[in-house]
Amino acid sequence: MLKVDGLAYRYRDAAAPALQDVSLSIPAGGVYGLLGPNGAGKTTLISLLAGLLTVANGDISLNGQPLSAARTANPRAIALVPQDYAFYPMLTVAENLAFFAGALGLAHGERRQQIDAAIAFARLEQVVGKRAEQLSGGLRRRLNLAIGLLGRPQLLLLDEPTVGVDPQSRSFLLESIAALPASGTTVLYTSHYMEEVEAICQRVAILDQGRVLSEGTLDDLLATAESSAEIELDQPLPPALAERYAATDLGHFKFALFFRSTVAVARLLDELAEAGCTVRQLHVGRQNLEQLFMRLTRRSLRD
Amino acid sequence: MTRLLALWTKETLALLRDRHGLAALFVMPIIFILVMTMALHDAFMPGAAIDVAYAIVDLDGSPHSQSLARRLGKTGSFRRVADPVTTDAARADIRSGRYALALVLPKGFGERLLTPAGSDGQATEALTLMVDPTLNPALQLAFRNQTSAALGMLRADELTHSAGKLFGLPTTARPAERDWPDEIVSTAVQNDRSIRPPSSVQQNVPAWLVFAMFFVVIPISAILITERQQGTLQRLAAMGLPFRFVLLGKLLPFFVVNQIQAVLMVAVGIWGVPLFGGEALAMPSGAGLFHWWLVAAAVSLTAVACALLVASLAQTTQQSTIIGGVGNILMAAIGGIMVPKFMMPGAMQTLAEWSPMAWALNGFHTVMLRHGDFAAILPDLVKLLACAALALAAATWLNHRQTA
Repeated sequence: MLKVDGLAYRYRDAAAPALQDVSLSIPAGGVYGLLGPNGAGKTTLISLLAGLLTVANGDISLNGQPLSAARTANPRAIALVPQDYAFYPMLTVAENLAFFAGALGLAHGERRQQIDAAIAFARLEQVVGKRAEQLSGGLRRRLNLAIGLLGRPQLLLLDEPTVGVDPQSRSFLLESIAALPASGTTVLYTSHYMEEVEAICQRVAILDQGRVLSEGTLDDLLATAESSAEIELDQPLPPALAERYAATDLGHFKFALFFRSTVAVARLLDELAEAGCTVRQLHVGRQNLEQLFMRLTRRSLRD
Repeated sequence: MTRLLALWTKETLALLRDRHGLAALFVMPIIFILVMTMALHDAFMPGAAIDVAYAIVDLDGSPHSQSLARRLGKTGSFRRVADPVTTDAARADIRSGRYALALVLPKGFGERLLTPAGSDGQATEALTLMVDPTLNPALQLAFRNQTSAALGMLRADELTHSAGKLFGLPTTARPAERDWPDEIVSTAVQNDRSIRPPSSVQQNVPAWLVFAMFFVVIPISAILITERQQGTLQRLAAMGLPFRFVLLGKLLPFFVVNQIQAVLMVAVGIWGVPLFGGEALAMPSGAGLFHWWLVAAAVSLTAVACALLVASLAQTTQQSTIIGGVGNILMAAIGGIMVPKFMMPGAMQTLAEWSPMAWALNGFHTVMLRHGDFAAILPDLVKLLACAALALAAATWLNHRQTA
């Protein structure tokens, strides 16, 4: 559906490019996760996809058509839901929806229909007459999302759509977003919450310092040949073992270890017994997204 | 059109819910007009009646003394109050502050009119002027001069009359009742520099209207900066809404706001100011009214365009309030809104030529005071519209630059 090929972007007066040689393929009908630490280039990529920045190097195509031509043909094909509450706090929920439907240029009949659909989708029926500034964080997020759906976009760009909401609202938002592909809207989802991405995304790209570090289906990325284990001991891990298993000290005698294959686990337990270490807890299995993310982007702080 | 209608509705609703913005746009200028018109009431009336009272103690009671009193009364500069009967009563009145001047016409004034200062060898009692010593010396002198002039005229007329009778010359009957001074007729010769200065209400209504119109900067920037900070502008751009639509969406509602301000301020000038004892504002009619509206429309476009420029320059609403508020006050101070331009020294008047508010006020005054036609207001209209176009272009460029 959306293909990004060799995309590069440098801001005016910036020393380093914000994006370099980014290639992605986002298939239709799914939720695509875009991960990366702060400053990785996620917002730049979203801005280019939303048409807020002009593509200078590389290509973006939507359904085989260059992005600019696709946007001219159908300006509502791609919708952006910014991370901020991008609506008018002094207007009511209904007035906000009516304004954005009007700004999209929807004709009267379609406008009514789309507003009703958006209200039903985000379950805003109880608050349509309330001013947006009086809504809770969860309701604001729902309104923010509802506005994005007014134009029935083919691709919805969601930038951190669950920041600052309670667990109930988060669960509702995630369920709603996961259901969007079924009604014909493909979703590009950026978030810092790995468990959210793991829960609703079928494909993921990890971006850092303007480059794509890894891209593919979630299953492929997590199911590597290597296995990881988290182990808790009653004393420090002997240095020889720490070196052999590329151990990371997690503190409190907890260590993260990597194995070439899971058969090595039995050998490790023997070696620990010989060294007089008691194993308090052992967790073996495929890595989770957070572990993969931290390993690929390194652990250093970014800002 | 659907998009513009949506934008206009949104701006209108947002403004109607912004109480501070509404107060700055409508309440503040009305208060300014009323207060400043009243406060500057007399400062705008050169040559107006001097509010100093005098009385005449006529101890003579002759036709001549009465004639002098009438002649003095006709000058109208000083206010005559009911006359005391005696010198002592006059002294007491001055002491108590009822009036500041009392002219005593001595007994025998009429008989001795043509023999002043004892020119016939007999002593003549002088006229006495009793004054409140705190009265401005210039005013004391002015009254003395008026009295001397009236006395001189009376004497000359009397002499002409007597001599005429003596030599059989043609004379008018008793000429004592002629207006004084009837020989000097004032003719106002107007050019650009000697234009009749505006009255207090004529200065203050257009001045504070211009000031209020430029205050749209506060609500316009408050909304535009919120839109930028909250990502709403990005969202609208992602929806394919060109930025010129966003600008157009703000131009019309605030143009309407400016027109409502104009109607309101003029209404205050016509009906509100007289309620507080001031002079009612006189508005031009017919083509003049249309020209007045053209100026108002040009001022509005400039004010909204400048507001959009400030909103594009400022990053936060605090910044825009400072840039917009201080900028407006400076433009008003330089442009003759706060201190009328005709009261400024030459150098300041030249500086005033650089303030859009001065062009605006000048345009209004051209229509209201000089009854200027379209050609007369054209230079100010061109300057205002050029300023508006430049500000709009700069605002558009700044917004494109910020997103590039």
